[in-house]
Amino acid sequence: MSDPAPSSTLPARPALSVPDLLVALGVLIVGALLLIGTLKIPFGINAYVGPRVFPMIVSVGTLLLGTLLLVATLRGYRAEPAAEEDSDPDAQPDLRQPGIILGGFLLGALILTPLGFVLGTAVMYFSVAFAFGERRLGLMAGVSLIVALVTYVAFTRGLGLSLPAGILNGVL
Amino acid sequence: MDAVHSLFAGFETALTPLNLLWALIGVTLGTLVGVLPGIGPALTVALLLPVTAKLPPVSAFIMFAGIYYGGMFGGSTTSILLNTPGESSSIITALEGNKMARRGRAAAALATAAIGSFVAGTIGTMLLTFAAPAIAEVAVQIPPSAKFALIMLAFVTISATFGGSPLRGLISLFLGLAIGLIGTDLQSGQARFTLGYPELLDGIDFVTVVIGLFAVGETLFVASRLRKDKASVIKLEGNASMTRDDWRRSWKPWLRGTALGFPFGAIPAGGAEIPTFLSYTLEKKLSKHSEEFGKGAIEGVAGPEAANNASAAGVLVPLLTLGLPTSATAAILLAAFQQYGLQPGPLLFVTSPDLVWGLIASLYIGNVMLLALNLPLAPIWAKLLLIPRPFLYAGILVFSTVGVYSLNNSVFDLILLAIFGLIGYGMRRFDFPVTPAIIGVILGPVSESQFRTAMQQSGGDVSVFVRQPLSLFILLIVLAALVVPQVLKVRAARAAKGDSLSA
Repeated sequence: MSDPAPSSTLPARPALSVPDLLVALGVLIVGALLLIGTLKIPFGINAYVGPRVFPMIVSVGTLLLGTLLLVATLRGYRAEPAAEEDSDPDAQPDLRQPGIILGGFLLGALILTPLGFVLGTAVMYFSVAFAFGERRLGLMAGVSLIVALVTYVAFTRGLGLSLPAGILNGVL
Repeated sequence: MDAVHSLFAGFETALTPLNLLWALIGVTLGTLVGVLPGIGPALTVALLLPVTAKLPPVSAFIMFAGIYYGGMFGGSTTSILLNTPGESSSIITALEGNKMARRGRAAAALATAAIGSFVAGTIGTMLLTFAAPAIAEVAVQIPPSAKFALIMLAFVTISATFGGSPLRGLISLFLGLAIGLIGTDLQSGQARFTLGYPELLDGIDFVTVVIGLFAVGETLFVASRLRKDKASVIKLEGNASMTRDDWRRSWKPWLRGTALGFPFGAIPAGGAEIPTFLSYTLEKKLSKHSEEFGKGAIEGVAGPEAANNASAAGVLVPLLTLGLPTSATAAILLAAFQQYGLQPGPLLFVTSPDLVWGLIASLYIGNVMLLALNLPLAPIWAKLLLIPRPFLYAGILVFSTVGVYSLNNSVFDLILLAIFGLIGYGMRRFDFPVTPAIIGVILGPVSESQFRTAMQQSGGDVSVFVRQPLSLFILLIVLAALVVPQVLKVRAARAAKGDSLSA
């Protein structure tokens, strides 16, 4: 833990970080849910170590670690976001872009079976490119369809996977 | 000289035209995906799993071997030309190699990385050839209680000892363990944590977890904080090549890096970061040109890059002989073995020698192919770095979808993928390491079954873990690995306070 040592000479405690607090509480909630789930597992028979033992260890461990995280957070610890390759550490986080990606992904997943793999993944491709700031819509639509089509043909014809053809059924 | 004999048999397997073709496809795809920014070796292997889905096991693993080494080679190219390490073990290469490239020495940096990787990979594979059968012979006698202790050691070292924050590493590990518990308990037949979904009865496939946490999580995170300026890719003129002076300055660091990297890969010590850092520090100490370090010293690329690749070969020793992965990539390889119904471990050398030795032989072949691919074709790989980010990340998501959907042809898995993507986003935002979670998912079930076997054999007596000398010894190391770094930290903090430094 890299929290600053609380000493009288230092400035007052750093402000409590609400997102970090929510994360710590989240870990505790997950631990509690795991514990509830563990108690629902029936006891096995005729075994020294039943199916409950490990879930119990994991849920109690999670609760314990969550408590430690909560304590650290209350003492003013806050997490530094990761510095990824293409991310700007100083940028103001904008949650709309990941939202667009997730929305496009779920839409693509929903139409994957009825309309087919090509259209489904093309929707996903398009939404990611849009979220990353690309605005040449015609080009994006074209590239999305080409990438989806090439992927589909390569994996079904080349590697023998079965992916849903959807509306292209019989055409390809 | 049994090893030599077995190795020749392995070459007979690996040198069939078809298997050579699979090896070539493996190294090419591995390099191709490994070069893409934002994709480290672990994700490279996970994304390319569906490509091997329809192959017979021997060919699949020969291809995996190529993907594994190829991903490492590709990663160093990216580090040098773009200053973006795909994983923590490439940080040093990015640091020094990118400086070299900025000074117009990109070709030499790429060459010393590629040839150094080749040298280290080949020596490492030789060490593997001779060490693995010997260790496997001893490993047959390791009792389940000690195997359980070994897994505990891997858990602790990977999540707590060598990470930035032990607490966050352990939370990540426990998340993985929890995910690993989902599904039907094989011993008792009871469903655990399935929430009534029949799709969860078989458990959650590790591919979904890996691709979700790594690829989707990364995409969401980067999208939330887009860099407005263009990443500056260094133009590469001509092939990767070195002058006579470069050779003179590189060969010793290669060998020293190899000597550091291999043993670190072979013990559960948190992967390749430490030997690369050690190699860098060592070369800086020994160099006559220490003033160049930090400005693009060739030794600072040659040593760490060799250490990185030797470590990748070292990782295969415990993986093949004990079934113990010591890095995220190795854990994914282990899971791939399990998908084929194979359990890596000492028995594998007895039950499927053609597979193990074919795999080892193909590592030699893959190394030669990679050298041939990387030196003359470096400019082509460099072109891949120019793919505009929106199209690149969009493509990664489409491939992720193929990989996960093709597991069971079910949209349910894609919903899971989105959930793990969100968790992966949160882990990046709140500084939780991803690797411990992956290790937890894959090794959690293994540790449970070893624990149960040990208890079954001891008649339900927990003290078997401390009565069996080897497991007691390993568990003591586990305890030390948890406690010692904390003690050192507290002492360091006290010392710092004594010097009235602000924390």
